Amino acid sequence: MSSVKFGNINFSSPILVASGTYGYGHETASMVDVNGIGGIVTKSVTRHPREGNPPPRIAETTSGMLNSIGLANVGVNEYCKSKLPYLNKLNTKIIINIAGTAVEDYVETLQILETAGGNHVGYEINISCPNVKEGGMSFGVSAKMTESLTAELRKYTSKLLIMKLSPNVTSIEEIALGAENGGADAVSAINTLVGMGIDIKTRKMKINTTFGGLSGPAIKPVALANIYKVFKAVRIPIIGLGGISCVEDVIEFILAGADLVQIGTLNYKEPGIAIRLGHELDNYCKNNNLSSIHDLKGLAEPH
Amino acid sequence: MILNEHAIVESTEEIAFNTFQTFLKSPKISTSMKPGQFINILPTKNWGEMMRRPMSVASQKDGIISIIYKVVGQGTQLMKDWAVGDTVDLIGPLGNYWDGYTDKFPILIGGGVGIAPILNLYNHLNHLDEDNVLIMGARNSSEHFINHNPENGNYMTTDDGSLGIHGNVLEPLKLALENLNFENTKIFACGPPAMMEAVRQFSISKGIECDLALETLMACGFGICQGCTVEFEKKQVTTEHSYRNRFGLICMDGPIFESKEIKSCHL
Repeated sequence: MSSVKFGNINFSSPILVASGTYGYGHETASMVDVNGIGGIVTKSVTRHPREGNPPPRIAETTSGMLNSIGLANVGVNEYCKSKLPYLNKLNTKIIINIAGTAVEDYVETLQILETAGGNHVGYEINISCPNVKEGGMSFGVSAKMTESLTAELRKYTSKLLIMKLSPNVTSIEEIALGAENGGADAVSAINTLVGMGIDIKTRKMKINTTFGGLSGPAIKPVALANIYKVFKAVRIPIIGLGGISCVEDVIEFILAGADLVQIGTLNYKEPGIAIRLGHELDNYCKNNNLSSIHDLKGLAEPH
Repeated sequence: MILNEHAIVESTEEIAFNTFQTFLKSPKISTSMKPGQFINILPTKNWGEMMRRPMSVASQKDGIISIIYKVVGQGTQLMKDWAVGDTVDLIGPLGNYWDGYTDKFPILIGGGVGIAPILNLYNHLNHLDEDNVLIMGARNSSEHFINHNPENGNYMTTDDGSLGIHGNVLEPLKLALENLNFENTKIFACGPPAMMEAVRQFSISKGIECDLALETLMACGFGICQGCTVEFEKKQVTTEHSYRNRFGLICMDGPIFESKEIKSCHL
């Protein structure tokens, strides 16, 4: 079947939902049994609350969308008070995504979460938000800074520590190695690509902050290339994401080297897609006599 | 409660130039929604775009809802071409709803196909036997589908004077207000941003209560994408949906906002 052991955590399905595309897990509760999802990575939480960017924040593009939400969130204290209790009741694996500006932000946020009594299995560290100046991007483009941030956070948690990588870099392999050397349990790749759109009637940028993050099927080949590069460079597990929209995409990501995958943009159109693809992946395993989908990890062959 | 329901297409008719009304059988959504709420539509099962198409509901009766739309892009073209009996994936009911329409005399204002949620309220008021005024503005006569009948409180306007009152919706609004006590009157409006902003500023200058249904691009419709924001005039109490107090989410805190509550209808 398609359950996957990752670190010492058993995920009932290798299909998770990506940070920022599934809120805090309660929003879809009347439509979807979220416990059928392999895991939920919650929306980036920061040390202090953030209002987010002014509108317009989103635009539709060919096979994708641009967004510049600006890390709007309740802040870590309120997160512990109002979001964790609900998340604790769920039977799916919770990973908390943390964003920050400086090392201390990340550390303090993580420390507060460590003592908050959450059942979460790990942290995904956002060092790659392209939409706010202080979105951690300075970490995400430097292997050295990625390594030292990872090492610093490693001191304070034994839960899964996952560094989320940006494709907006010269060498994603070096950044992935920095995460590995710093003691990360895994990396997730990729965050959104920097993009832009212009309304030709008004001649205004489609996104308030001019540049936004491009996601959706348009970026899938970019994601695959980056995941494959990371797979060749590091030994730690990889969570693949970037435009997955069908079960064939999931299999492609695993063949490229991913252990788990995340669904992002497609959740908006179909809030139950992670569950549906999980069932389709089970069927694929059955039909292909695979004891685990994980057997396919990195099996893609060059010509 | 937000539902994901597969509705069945009952019929589609062209009610004005390039303007269509489609009736959808959706037993669950139609019976649980209130006037002013909207649905988010997947135009077709293999919809390649990233976003559903949010639409206000124009009527709800006997398990059937209707939507009114102009064919402007790929999504609305697909909707127009839905065959009777087709299945359509809907998410709804979404957002807040009109209220306070029985406490004060209601003046309803719609602009073009933006009149949809206003019509649902209009039908509801007539069902309750509540007196009201209905104003609809459009560019020209070809966009209208309601009779201009001032005796019955139905005023149509056109930018070019080809039907009803020559001018914008503020003309009949001022006429209707001549015999009314402002304090006991409430305006309900939905339409293009320029029309709504004019109504918003007029209502504020006259001290008339006014609720506006905003329209914008949405990726989800139920609060997870955080894409559809409007800026508040003053910092509100923190809204649960936008996480903070500077912006509101149009999908969850709205689509209906008080005129004084928001900075502008131009999003």
